[in-house]
Amino acid sequence: MSSQLLIQTIANAIAASGMLALIAVGLTLAFGVMQMANLAHGHFFMMGAYTVYALYALGGWPFWWAVAAAVAVGAVIGLIVERGIFRPLQGDVVSGFIATAGLMFVFEVLVGELWGWGLSRPIPSPYMRAVRFMGAAVAFQRVLVIPFAVVSIGGLMFFMRRFRLGRALRAVAQDPEAAALQGININRMTALAMAIAGAYAGLAGGLMSTIYAITPSLGGHIILPALIVVVVGGMGSIGGATLAAVIFGFVMTFVTTLVDGVTAVMVSVTVMAVVLAIRPQGLMGRVIA
Amino acid sequence: MSSHSMKKYKIGGLAPLILVLSGLCLVPFFLRAYLVEVAMMYFIYIILAQSYRLIVTVHDWQLYHIVLYGVGAYTSGMLAKNLGVPVFVAIPLGGAMAGLVGMAITLPLLRTKGWGFYIATYGLAELIRLTWLKFRNPFGGSTGIIDIPWPPVIAGIDFSDRIPYYFFSLGVMLLVMLMLYRIEKSRIGDSFKAISMDPELAASTGINIPRHRLMACSIGGFFAGVAGGLLVHRLGAVDPKLFNITTTLYLLIWVVVGGTNTFWGPIIGVSVMHTLFELSRPLIEIRPMFFGLSMVLVLIFLPGGLEGLISKAITRLQKRDRVAPVET
Amino acid sequence: MLLEVKDITAHYFKVAAVRNISIGVNDGEIVTLIGSNGAGKTTTLRAISGLKHPSSGEIHFQGQRIDRLPPYKINALGIAMVPEGRRVFPQMTVLENLFMGAFLRMDKNAIQKDLEETVFRHFPRLKERTKQAAGTLSGGEQQMLAMGRALMSAPKLILLDEPSLGLSPIMCGQIAKIIRDIHAEGRTVILVEQNARLALVLAQQAYVIETGQIVLSGPADQLRENEEVKRAYLGG
Repeated sequence: MSSQLLIQTIANAIAASGMLALIAVGLTLAFGVMQMANLAHGHFFMMGAYTVYALYALGGWPFWWAVAAAVAVGAVIGLIVERGIFRPLQGDVVSGFIATAGLMFVFEVLVGELWGWGLSRPIPSPYMRAVRFMGAAVAFQRVLVIPFAVVSIGGLMFFMRRFRLGRALRAVAQDPEAAALQGININRMTALAMAIAGAYAGLAGGLMSTIYAITPSLGGHIILPALIVVVVGGMGSIGGATLAAVIFGFVMTFVTTLVDGVTAVMVSVTVMAVVLAIRPQGLMGRVIA
Repeated sequence: MSSHSMKKYKIGGLAPLILVLSGLCLVPFFLRAYLVEVAMMYFIYIILAQSYRLIVTVHDWQLYHIVLYGVGAYTSGMLAKNLGVPVFVAIPLGGAMAGLVGMAITLPLLRTKGWGFYIATYGLAELIRLTWLKFRNPFGGSTGIIDIPWPPVIAGIDFSDRIPYYFFSLGVMLLVMLMLYRIEKSRIGDSFKAISMDPELAASTGINIPRHRLMACSIGGFFAGVAGGLLVHRLGAVDPKLFNITTTLYLLIWVVVGGTNTFWGPIIGVSVMHTLFELSRPLIEIRPMFFGLSMVLVLIFLPGGLEGLISKAITRLQKRDRVAPVET
Repeated sequence: MLLEVKDITAHYFKVAAVRNISIGVNDGEIVTLIGSNGAGKTTTLRAISGLKHPSSGEIHFQGQRIDRLPPYKINALGIAMVPEGRRVFPQMTVLENLFMGAFLRMDKNAIQKDLEETVFRHFPRLKERTKQAAGTLSGGEQQMLAMGRALMSAPKLILLDEPSLGLSPIMCGQIAKIIRDIHAEGRTVILVEQNARLALVLAQQAYVIETGQIVLSGPADQLRENEEVKRAYLGG
């Protein structure tokens, strides 16, 4: 591996970590607050990407307006899923999980019918420049996700520590019944968690839409790495998900560059299995007695 | 509750059962060739759904069942093609392989619970499927394996013909159902049920939970593998795409829409949902949405599935016929 | 009357956990529910706090019907519950736990005042440990934290579920003293206890619950002398 390629791969790995973290943090937050995992979370990401495709590439909106719309679309979908599926199925873990599996089909068909089933036309990046660093060139658009990931995840952690609503989210995650006794409206907290989860996935999808060629099945491809990150990080742990996102961002990018994408997924799954066999609760998960 | 409604089925169900069976025996002689092929898929899917239900009774909604179906298909196909193993021997061997793989996947994950378990099973299933995709030798990569041997001629009956294979797969399905039914009614079946109802209580009565979970996963895996063998020697080919997450979603849909409380749920689920699947071929693009939505709606509004609905209707009819029973 | 529980029945699945229970609580009283494990004491408290909706009957608090309200609205009306097993938020600090108790209050000055003058005065030990994660506290300290958290909502009525459970005799004595102090400040308390001896000393009114029904009620000092109560709950 030449030093140029190495630097480029590292840059790509950091960008991939940022994207994975944005997706996984929302997934793990929603899991923590509701004890429900959302298999359709990758489809939130896909919807974000298609929002940018529709508004920016097809509709001629300014790029950043389209990204903002992707965030909003993600949040709204999150709210709808919370209200329509998780709330009626409250406490029924298996049903919630299977229902969101069914939702994958729904989103895919919706997008496929609206914007076509095949690969979408590539979305022109608004930033054609490349960042030059030690002889290597990295597409500006690709590293764009990094500051966004850092700010949004840092912001979320700060929100969870310092703000009344953020603390309430943590309280619900740790003991929903005790939280209800403190005057916290649990339904509002799960809605908030799902809105944040949707918004973050929408943001990631919007930012990455110009890099990936997007298809309606994008969500199905991204969900496995996202779930691996959440499980390895420790379900419900935002710090754990961020750490695991960095680990798998690097593992997947390097294996993809050196071997191929299929092997990258295989290696990631193997790492996950090993971690779970040794530490069933994940890297930073709580041991639930 | 469920054993109660079971009994009702048994008493009132024997005559319809004979009727259905004789119907199934006559059907291939009257149907178009294509529909006979479709009917065989029903048998394979019922084996899949029924064996999955066994695992679900222990509450392990794992996501590798379809991949075990694939393990059965690949094993049986490769044994027959590369080693010349007779087809009717290769199919159970494929089942055994699937059972072993099921056990091997479950073993390291026994300590994980709930989410961790479901997601890890999904991951490991992908690992196996991607292995087929990745290694062209011996698995054939994305194009898979073709020219898999057909079943042989035995006693003058050519099992590679449509109608003999129809009866062969019907027979296998009935045998599998009988075995699964016996398992459910056995002590092991009772233990499975006890675990799903209250794991802590089950453990305190001396039931070894990890061992039973492993047992359910490997027995279920064995039958999934047998279903794979049935498939592969009819198709004559196999490829990784047959066993992707979409197929898993359909399996979930059959089982959830049908219901898992009694033995008949998955059969109802496959019968209804696969019929709708075949009928909706003209709508091929939006079909998945309809199926996804139907599963979501059943989960929210009809937690027992169609089976629950039917048994409720039967109970109501019987109540109307007889003197109202004492309210319990 | 501050709280009136009228004829409530509550089911878990199809089993009635409590049947036709009626309780009256006057302003400024300590009322205790005693009875053996599984008699329905906790279910009664859960019904009052909104965690369990009764299948029949009514609950009124300050004249308002509350038996159909969700827990967070009941908390807003001035009822705080200290659940069985403390149920502190294990990964939050002591201070964060206390602030969760004041979740619905917006007046920062009043919250601060209650923290300093009420909670830390009753529980000076909590003040030494504000930055410690609640999960790492001892059982007695967790009980203090759970009570402090309840006090942070400035409640008119406090529901205490088995505060002495699993605590050392010394710690039990401390908790008893604090309950008395809280009562002396004019707060109303419903105390559920298996330790009937302790409960009957603290309370003014008492109800004895057996298999989901009230079998005996009256002033606590009279019940203390009741032969049946003595035999069944006071060990002779």
